[in-house]
Amino acid sequence: MKLNMNVQKLFRRPLFGIFLLFGIIAVSTSWVCIATVDSQLSEEYESNSRGIAQTIADASVDIILNRDLSALQSLIDQFLEIQGISYIYIVNEDGEFLAHTFVPGIPGEILASDPANTDTVERVLAGADSFVEVGSPILAGVAGSVHIGMDKSVITLKIQQAVGRQMYLISSIFLVGIIAAIMLMNLAARPVEHLLAYAVQLARAEREGEPAPGALLERDDEAGQLARLLLYFSRVADPEKAGALAQPEAS
Amino acid sequence: MRVLTRRKFLRTGILGGLAAPWLGRGAAFAQNETVGSAAGFHEGISDDEILLGTSAAFSGPSRGLGIELYRGAQAFFNRVNEQGGVGGRRIALRLYDDGYQPVPSVQNTMELLLQDQVFALFGYVGTPTVTRVLPILKKFQEENVYMFFPFTGAQPQREPPYGEFAFNLRASYREETAGLVENFLRIGRRRIAVFYQADAYGRSGWAGVREALGARGEQIVGEATYTRGAAYGRSMGEQVEILRNVSPDAVICIGAYGACAAFLRDAIDFGLEVPIANLSFVGSENLLQLITDSVDDSERYTRYLVNSQVVPSYEDESIPVVREYAELMDRYQPEVPEPLRQPDYVPFDRSFVSLEGFVNAKMLVEILNRMGDSPGRARLEQAVFTVRDYDLGIGEMVSFSEQRRQGMQRLYYTVVDKGRFVPLDDWQARFG
Repeated sequence: MKLNMNVQKLFRRPLFGIFLLFGIIAVSTSWVCIATVDSQLSEEYESNSRGIAQTIADASVDIILNRDLSALQSLIDQFLEIQGISYIYIVNEDGEFLAHTFVPGIPGEILASDPANTDTVERVLAGADSFVEVGSPILAGVAGSVHIGMDKSVITLKIQQAVGRQMYLISSIFLVGIIAAIMLMNLAARPVEHLLAYAVQLARAEREGEPAPGALLERDDEAGQLARLLLYFSRVADPEKAGALAQPEAS
Repeated sequence: MRVLTRRKFLRTGILGGLAAPWLGRGAAFAQNETVGSAAGFHEGISDDEILLGTSAAFSGPSRGLGIELYRGAQAFFNRVNEQGGVGGRRIALRLYDDGYQPVPSVQNTMELLLQDQVFALFGYVGTPTVTRVLPILKKFQEENVYMFFPFTGAQPQREPPYGEFAFNLRASYREETAGLVENFLRIGRRRIAVFYQADAYGRSGWAGVREALGARGEQIVGEATYTRGAAYGRSMGEQVEILRNVSPDAVICIGAYGACAAFLRDAIDFGLEVPIANLSFVGSENLLQLITDSVDDSERYTRYLVNSQVVPSYEDESIPVVREYAELMDRYQPEVPEPLRQPDYVPFDRSFVSLEGFVNAKMLVEILNRMGDSPGRARLEQAVFTVRDYDLGIGEMVSFSEQRRQGMQRLYYTVVDKGRFVPLDDWQARFG
């Protein structure tokens, strides 16, 4: 069966309405998705990073007080393997960098910042991406602090992936919905088409004095009723037929 | 015959279970080669063989270090084996390649201890690798597993909590950096910057420079880093720029030959013409070869180069161990076994690294000899402690004790003259 995808003029506006509705749904759900994923991922990353910073801070105490700083570097290098963590640095109570993972050097923005501040801060480093940095004090800050920078592009990528998946789903539903809507509308429009064709045939028959077509008159649905009504009106409009119609009533 | 007690069986099983993921992954990239093999092992010893385990860089940008260290050691082991071995037991090496990367070195070590059941670990290369292996030694402390003479001067294997599981022969990075700092300050070069590998090795050297400068009321004036594994082809322009901005009087590099040669090249190209010092780990001959092979006027580049060494010049045959080394290297011309051999790597006839490997092997054989007729891991530590004022023929007496787990302290400084490394006698004349 050939699928007729031509949309009847009658239904173009409703179809446009459906498009609009889907668009609003897609945009609003994506926006909610972005906001939710962004907020939840950011919170999760921040929470995890803060936990890691705390772990490093706890493990650093013994190393800073008793051991060589290469052990401290070895410790932070292992945590750098965790996805999303871009840099780690440890400063002592005087703000001196004891260990860090920066290449080719410590960025000026970080050198200029307050090393004792362990609050969450957003950083944009020259020549690099944006980062969210969390900190944790070592021995309540008297031995320094640990700072961990998370690459925001990882969060952005996750958001893009989540939104992409949602958009893919909505688009698929939208496509299926539109095809279904067109098919249903065409199905609904078929009696109207038949009625229109009947009206044209009726007019032609009236003009050429042929007998009126009778195919649609036998239907018992709205199309049949309208066809009979059209036939009635065509006869009412014709005085001869109107008389013929009126005679049986007079007799 | 190998004896496996119930306790050992359980422990091996549990550790094996814990290590299974490591072993599974390690097999993907660990190449290995046993030089000799024998059945009936117990703790890495059979009636006719002592099996040692090595994980080192035999591939990648730092492969020259693992290859040369092995060649020097193998030259001495070949002679020992030719003469009947230690107490009638040949010395065999089980080799794994870790490419100077920590995770493979851990996997290889688990393989060496659980699968290969080696007698001891020997000839490891690098700080980031060794520092990650040390906790394994602590885990196996009841098995009396020790690491001998790793090619690193870092502190973690020299101090608690892991120092008791390793024996070092060479001077430490702390001593090397202190020596360099002292000499630079003595000739009036007070503004010292550091170029280092961004890992435990680099940090160890950085900490040594910081400590040495701090003790003299100075501090590091600037620092730049590079990522481990950087090859000579990489530009170090950014690092040079960072250091040039602080106008240093000298730069101390803590890195491997590829990156340090690239830094030297770019420093001279960008006009940072100050003394550039390297530690013994750098692999001096490999560094020099990279420079001389790639620039026209190599003297212009090497004029500022000064390298500290933990063994004397391999050209000074007035030193008995150097004569012995030269003779055995010529006689055996050892090569890395086939599965690990790098076709495009041309080994050096002589090098500081292979001389160090040779000296390490000589010291280890002496220790093994001191275990007597019934060697075993349990007797190994005590055998090491019997070494007191032992003459290795290097011009420095070697001693070990419970408190002293590093055999030698002497440092040597070298500069390049006519395309080869020669002793630096007068810092003032050269860099003053």
